[in-house]
Amino acid sequence: MAGFMVICRKELSDHLGSKRFLLLFGLIIVLSLFSAYQGAESIRNNSAGLFINIFSGYYGGGYSFLNLMFMFGPIIGLALGFDAINRERNHGSLSVILSQPIFRDSVINGKFLAGIGALSLLAVSTIGIMSGVAIPLLGFGPGPDEIVRIVLFTLLTILYLSVWLAIGLLFSTVTKKTTTSVLMSISTWIFSVIVITIVASLIANALVSTQTPEGMFRMAPPSNNGTASFDPIDQTMMEEWQERMRTNSEISTMIQRISPAILYQEAATSIITVIRFPAMSGFTISASSGTMFRSLDAGQGMLSNWPQIVVLAVVLIVCFAASYMLFLRQEIRAGG
Amino acid sequence: MKKEMSEPMIQTQQLTKHYGDIKAVDQLDLTVNKGEIVGFLGPNGSGKTTTLLMLMGLSLPTSGTASVGGYNVINESKAVRQIAAMLPEGAGYYDDLTARQNLRYIGQLNDIPDPEIEKRTEELLEAVKLTKWADTKIGKFSRGMKQRLGIMEVLIKRPKVAFFDEPTLGLDPKATKELRDILIKLNKEQSLTILLSSHLLYEIQQTCQKVLILRKGKLVVADTIENLSNHLAGEDRTTIEFELTKMTSDLIQKIKDIDGVTSVDKENHKLFVHTESDKSREISETITKNGSTILLMKPKEHSLEEIFLKYYTED
Repeated sequence: MAGFMVICRKELSDHLGSKRFLLLFGLIIVLSLFSAYQGAESIRNNSAGLFINIFSGYYGGGYSFLNLMFMFGPIIGLALGFDAINRERNHGSLSVILSQPIFRDSVINGKFLAGIGALSLLAVSTIGIMSGVAIPLLGFGPGPDEIVRIVLFTLLTILYLSVWLAIGLLFSTVTKKTTTSVLMSISTWIFSVIVITIVASLIANALVSTQTPEGMFRMAPPSNNGTASFDPIDQTMMEEWQERMRTNSEISTMIQRISPAILYQEAATSIITVIRFPAMSGFTISASSGTMFRSLDAGQGMLSNWPQIVVLAVVLIVCFAASYMLFLRQEIRAGG
Repeated sequence: MKKEMSEPMIQTQQLTKHYGDIKAVDQLDLTVNKGEIVGFLGPNGSGKTTTLLMLMGLSLPTSGTASVGGYNVINESKAVRQIAAMLPEGAGYYDDLTARQNLRYIGQLNDIPDPEIEKRTEELLEAVKLTKWADTKIGKFSRGMKQRLGIMEVLIKRPKVAFFDEPTLGLDPKATKELRDILIKLNKEQSLTILLSSHLLYEIQQTCQKVLILRKGKLVVADTIENLSNHLAGEDRTTIEFELTKMTSDLIQKIKDIDGVTSVDKENHKLFVHTESDKSREISETITKNGSTILLMKPKEHSLEEIFLKYYTED
């Protein structure tokens, strides 16, 4: 236990002092402040704006803190994990550490917890700074429901970053060279945030075509006065086409959910996206994962996306458990 | 040397380690007593490092067992690492930390209280002459300095037994000698048991009392250097080594003609005369009569290199 705490403390102070972490931290702070400022501007110009929109963006899309985390969160998590084990192994410091009277799992546990600590610090301070900047800009703060949402969103973001840390840690345990693990990290990141949507739509389109059926919009022969007109749309054809569109989108969504980034986006969106219609004051609606709008309070928002959150937690546990088992089984060998 | 310490510090029984089909260590039985400083020799890939890793509980034996300081290396490996320290081959340190910070980390991992760590650090820095560099980042250290840091990391836990795996690899002769002096001093003053693996045979001969020679994972020799040398000498008790001012083929022929001389070998500037009985007087007379002067004349000694090569090449 003593060994675990010592390693954790040392790794945490390493992270907080490392150029890599400070650079990413600085970048995230700058980009977040920009998004908070932009969010505050749009909220002030809109009577329906809510405080929480500084995180979600007013319509939940475009340049927002949520999308920033979706895109760059993986890089931050991976950056803290991708060389955690293999760098020390190559450098020869791992065998020195393991020659001390500690249990071997203290090393990987300490490193993982220190990484989570650094990531939590990053998430909490970024969200805190954004709120601190936005309150004077807006002239009002978050309501009680919004505070709950912000806290839940922060926890979800920490979970998301930690998933990537665990993935990075796994890469650093599996591979011998840091160059290999960095390439694996970058490809996983690109796949999860960009390629997956393309792949998902390609597969979905291959399985269920979304092309309008031939003859759905049939031209009627020109009438006497020379004007062209459409035949009335074939109702059954239309319904069948809509059905196919729905299936296609469902398949695509299912495939996209392989990516932790997509899961985070879905869950986070439903937690922090709240739209208030001025005409129905007091009545708030949040956007849940799909296109459906439902009226949800913070707790319901969390519940409706429970599966996404559970899957994220499972990915985290599986990746960490795999690196844990591997690390314990990997022997220190002569010449490396 | 204190003779009362013949209690075993390290003991292995049928210790075996396989990597796939390769038998890195094969049914090894060895004993190192308390307070001994033992050279651990063997060609590359003979299983030295693997044995040391198993003794530290870092690598699990395929079969057999071993104990260090009375603790079993398999199920009491943490206790073993409490009393045993190792300087692994190619050991690395944290380049972004200073020597002092590196040492503190190792100290903390050994659960040593901070004031005690500081006290020991000062002593050790003094002992390995690194005080000046205590607050310099390791990244700027030379190889010899890093190796001295490694020694400090071994010693900060005040071990009862220390394993050094190729500690002089890549060090210059001066650093090598300094390291040797430190090891001998530790062994004498603190009766630290030391197992030293090295390819520098001269080093081993200067430092160690006993040698263990491994070949293909098996122990082929375990004896004192003195005994080994005598043993080899016993095989040809009657070889005399000469260094002469002049060595003509005529002279060599004349020595060969002496009754009782079986053969004469010329190696560089030396002449090795093999005889059946003691003919040193006759030989030296022949040499002086033939206009040459004897610079050196002694019964042949056996260096560790010869011992080493003999056991390595013997199949």
